[in-house]
Amino acid sequence: MSLLTIRNLHKTYGSLEVLKGINLTVEAGEILGFIGASGSGKSTLLRCINHMEVPTQGEVELEGETVGVKRVGDRLVARSSAELSLQRRKMAMVFQHFNLWPHKTALENVMEGPVVVQKIDPQTARTKAMAALKRVGLAEKADAYPSRLSGGQQQRVGIARALALEPRIILFDEPTSALDPELVNEVLAVIQGLANDGMTLIIVTHEMRFARTVCDRVVFLEHGEIADAGPPSHIFGPEANPRTREFVGNYHG
Amino acid sequence: MQYEWNFSVVWDYRAVLLAGLLHTVVLAIITIIASMILGLILALVRNSKIPFVYPTISTFISLTRAVPVLVLLVWMYYCLPIITGLKLDGYTTVIIALSIYSSAFFAEIFRGGIQSIDRGHIEAAHSVGMTRRQTFQRIVAPLAFQRIFPPLVNQCILVLKNTTLAGYVAVPELLYLGQQVSIRTFRPLELLTAVAILFVVTIVPLTLAAEYFEKKFHEKYFR
Repeated sequence: MSLLTIRNLHKTYGSLEVLKGINLTVEAGEILGFIGASGSGKSTLLRCINHMEVPTQGEVELEGETVGVKRVGDRLVARSSAELSLQRRKMAMVFQHFNLWPHKTALENVMEGPVVVQKIDPQTARTKAMAALKRVGLAEKADAYPSRLSGGQQQRVGIARALALEPRIILFDEPTSALDPELVNEVLAVIQGLANDGMTLIIVTHEMRFARTVCDRVVFLEHGEIADAGPPSHIFGPEANPRTREFVGNYHG
Repeated sequence: MQYEWNFSVVWDYRAVLLAGLLHTVVLAIITIIASMILGLILALVRNSKIPFVYPTISTFISLTRAVPVLVLLVWMYYCLPIITGLKLDGYTTVIIALSIYSSAFFAEIFRGGIQSIDRGHIEAAHSVGMTRRQTFQRIVAPLAFQRIFPPLVNQCILVLKNTTLAGYVAVPELLYLGQQVSIRTFRPLELLTAVAILFVVTIVPLTLAAEYFEKKFHEKYFR
């Protein structure tokens, strides 16, 4: 069984159809990249995975369990807030704009999930949170408030916050798009490290070089559909479909 | 013609004035607590999906804000007993009228604070698995509180000053007692001055404390 299965996923906002029936499976340990132009639906797809956006039709299954909804008889009903939260922490998320809580220190940001949601005792949570901060190279900033951290540091704390949940998958929503160019590499290096450790990652990105070197498989989305998918050697190679080549070409040019 | 000030009457009646100040402060504290609780409930319940809740609360807030507080107070004191047969004493009426009136303003302050929270902070809370309640308690409420702290203090000061209307239904607050004393002593200017000074020395320290805490929050979280 695949770790994650997306089946016939549709998302519409009013008359705007953002996702038009996505089918995709993700295996444990896989590094998956979503690329595509703005408005192609790649962020929406990512956000539908952990039910941050509620799909209009279709379903997402994590370890055989439908996310956000459950089957009762032959109907799908929404899960309770508590059930959904249990599923969400298995799919930690890293945001484009970091979204660290400004009234909590770096360490408290990382500890918050384990202490409040998983009810781990604060002492154990602190040790784990420090380990997560060490992993992103920010142990010495544990007591700093987000406002005193650079964008790159904030995003690394965001990654530590995701790691502390010990999730099955980490979802990255354009993790470097809001960063100054000179700060991009420190964040990419951390993500690369997670990939090397065998974590399952789904990354929405505009960093083609990164997608090419780190991802096992790249999905090219266009107009809410998967236009092309395959290993980087395919997507970035001469065999890719013409639209993919054109899109990727614009980044090289 | 020169007016001859004589502040000795203020000193002679100091016990009466201080009793009035105590009444004023107690009225204000009870009203602030009641109207904040009511306001918070209104702000939280307003967005519920239960039918008719939203229009009912919205109408309540706009109507309450549209009526001058003195009109509301006097109406509740004189008209309500005629309509309902329920006769409340002045003290209770003042607390209920002022609380209802202020709750509309507190509700709007709370709503503004809650709505001002960055959607991203809420999504981050959901992403680590917080339920809606946990997200409100751990993230939204503390962040909103910092943001609405200045208008909240402002509204508390307005409540304190609105208690002077209690005199209209013969509740012996500071202004009412000051006027009673001035009628007896023929010294209205001295007594009004004293009343004004007592309000200032009560309110200004509150304002200063509020500014101090606001600055502290800001230094701590936002540099």
